[in-house]
Amino acid sequence: MRGPQIALVTGANSGLGLACSKALAEKGARVYAAYRNPRKAGPLWELTRALPVFPLLMDVNRAPSVERGVRQLLRREGRIDVLLNNAGFVMAGFWEDLSDKDLKDQFETNVFGLLRVARAVLPSMRKQGSGKILNMGSVAAFAAPPGLGPYSATKFAVNSITEALRMEARPWGVEVAEVNPGEIHTSVVQNTRMGEGVFSARSPYSPFTRQFEKLAKERFEKAAPVEKLVQVVLKALGHSPMKRRYLVRPDDYAIYYLRWLLPDALWEWGLGRMFPWSWPTE
Amino acid sequence: MQDRPVAFITGCSTGIGFETALLLAREGYRVFATMRDLKKANPLKEAAKGLDLEILPLDVDKPASVKSAVTAAVKKAGRIDVLVNNAGWGAFGALEEFSDGEIRAQYETNLFGLVRVTRQVLPVMRGQKSGRILNIGSLAGRMTFAGIGLYCSSKYAVEALTESLRLELRPFNIKVAVIEPGTIRTPFKANRRKARLFQEGRSAYQKTLERILYFGNHPSSSAPGPEKVAVAVLKALRARRMAVRYPVGRDAVWFPLLRWFMPDFLFDWVLERRYAGFQREGA
Ligand SMILES: NC(=O)c1ccc[n+]([C@@H]2O[C@H](COP(=O)([O-])OP(=O)(O)OC[C@H]3O[C@@H](n4cnc5c(N)ncnc54)[C@H](OP(=O)(O)O)[C@@H]3O)[C@@H](O)[C@H]2O)c1
Ligand SMILES: NC(=O)c1ccc[n+]([C@@H]2O[C@H](COP(=O)([O-])OP(=O)(O)OC[C@H]3O[C@@H](n4cnc5c(N)ncnc54)[C@H](OP(=O)(O)O)[C@@H]3O)[C@@H](O)[C@H]2O)c1
Repeated sequence: MRGPQIALVTGANSGLGLACSKALAEKGARVYAAYRNPRKAGPLWELTRALPVFPLLMDVNRAPSVERGVRQLLRREGRIDVLLNNAGFVMAGFWEDLSDKDLKDQFETNVFGLLRVARAVLPSMRKQGSGKILNMGSVAAFAAPPGLGPYSATKFAVNSITEALRMEARPWGVEVAEVNPGEIHTSVVQNTRMGEGVFSARSPYSPFTRQFEKLAKERFEKAAPVEKLVQVVLKALGHSPMKRRYLVRPDDYAIYYLRWLLPDALWEWGLGRMFPWSWPTE
Repeated sequence: MQDRPVAFITGCSTGIGFETALLLAREGYRVFATMRDLKKANPLKEAAKGLDLEILPLDVDKPASVKSAVTAAVKKAGRIDVLVNNAGWGAFGALEEFSDGEIRAQYETNLFGLVRVTRQVLPVMRGQKSGRILNIGSLAGRMTFAGIGLYCSSKYAVEALTESLRLELRPFNIKVAVIEPGTIRTPFKANRRKARLFQEGRSAYQKTLERILYFGNHPSSSAPGPEKVAVAVLKALRARRMAVRYPVGRDAVWFPLLRWFMPDFLFDWVLERRYAGFQREGA
């Protein structure tokens, strides 16, 4: 192969993106680590001292910012071998408690932003006749729990986007796949936003919201360390061709296969049991 | 005054919305059939002569329009028992080549608009402690087809919406389901909006897309008509325990089943190589 692999990682200043940037660079790739907020880029600058990691300013919500970032990268390297499409956040809250703007913000980053970066990168990958795009999905792409509907909807959509891009890009030698992790220790909880109406005294869901928060907290106490995901990402990028989907923890396999096996009614009953308010057992 | 159940339906100018409005009116519902362009109201008005069906203007993309249509219906009927979220359209093109504007427009109607109407109706249904919401999703919400990736992703999102909303509304005795039609004979395909790059003949996927468009537009004479979807809506409304999803048409039943027992690589091969047949063009 010619020279080191060139990788672009979005949302690289924190959590999964940061850990994957580090791991890819340690494997010898030149990693363009995209961040949007200079005040939060400290950990990235830390990495640049010892590793071929190059911070790149890029807000996936803004087309000019994405285009400029990708152009800069291509000017310096002439190619992009790997895109880890990772930037994203959680907008929590019951559907009725989310404003139009909340919902659009959620999609702007997790879906339109992900697509925007893929669109910016694809022409050069197709031209070079190779490339790998790995989209960050979630187990929320298989299960849509109450209180997390809009986030799940973005990850369901990403699922479809991965499938479509896969079909389109394969003939050009470009591979597209998706990783679907469950809970992992990152800043995702601190960075979670709540829908506008969630804490309003008038919200009909407020008792449920409290139960939801408690459950989320419990689940994150059992979250896996980032290394788990890093291993899977490295494995996926090492495959040729990549499989359509990569799961991470045993729990994630369980969710995936239960979903596959169970009829809708049984699946829903099981999911409902985890959220006692929506499934009161009289 | 009346104890007819009240139904509120979006996108009733043609196709599935049109037929559903008619069928529900015939079956004794008081129907508010909404559409964004009242100039298209005549066929429905004609067909619904003598029935309890009223047409209201509603563009799901516009918050003010959503608000005034729902408010008007509630003012007249005092309640809404059934909401059918039907308004929608399909974007056509390679996922790589849609502009930001084209992407947002697809979601504005198929997802954000649907949620907007639902959010407006929910307080009414919660007040009644009853109601049923039927989202017109699609087979395309269960699997992704070539050339309509963007549309599919919006319908995948509707699946997630339905599943989570069902649990969120269970304590309020509001039931939610998704109707998943396969290919249905309606103006839907004619109304598809093509990505600009493709329309101008400048797509990197031009030939493949043209072929998909050509074949995709032809063999559907055997596809069921929209009445069949209306019947599925009625069936869901009458079910004592409403299921999560109601597929309509043979393709809507078979494709997910095939996918269910085929390993990923085989399914990929069938769908990507045989069916989609994307090729490396130009060069
Ligand atoms: N951790 C989990 O349990 C888990 C599970 C399943 C899936 N995921 C997915 O994994 C991905 C990464 O999440 P994480 O767990 O690593 O969370 P995180 O620590 O909060 O990191 C998210 C990263 O995305 C960035 N980001 C958010 N919006 C952005 C935008 N508009 N433009 C550019 N960057 C943006 C954040 O930048 P700022 O720091 O500037 O906000 C941050 O760098 C997400 O897509 C998430 O949905 C996480
Ligand atoms: N036909 C199929 O093969 C098929 C299969 C699966 C699912 N579906 C779904 O079924 C639903 C109805 O489609 P159809 O087959 O009946 O197609 P159609 O005949 O094209 O009807 C679509 C309806 O939605 C309306 N609409 C579009 N954008 C709107 C907006 N912003 N506000 C309000 N109304 C809007 C259209 O109004 P105008 O007349 O003003 O444009 C029309 O009344 C769609 O959600 C579609 O995705 C269709």
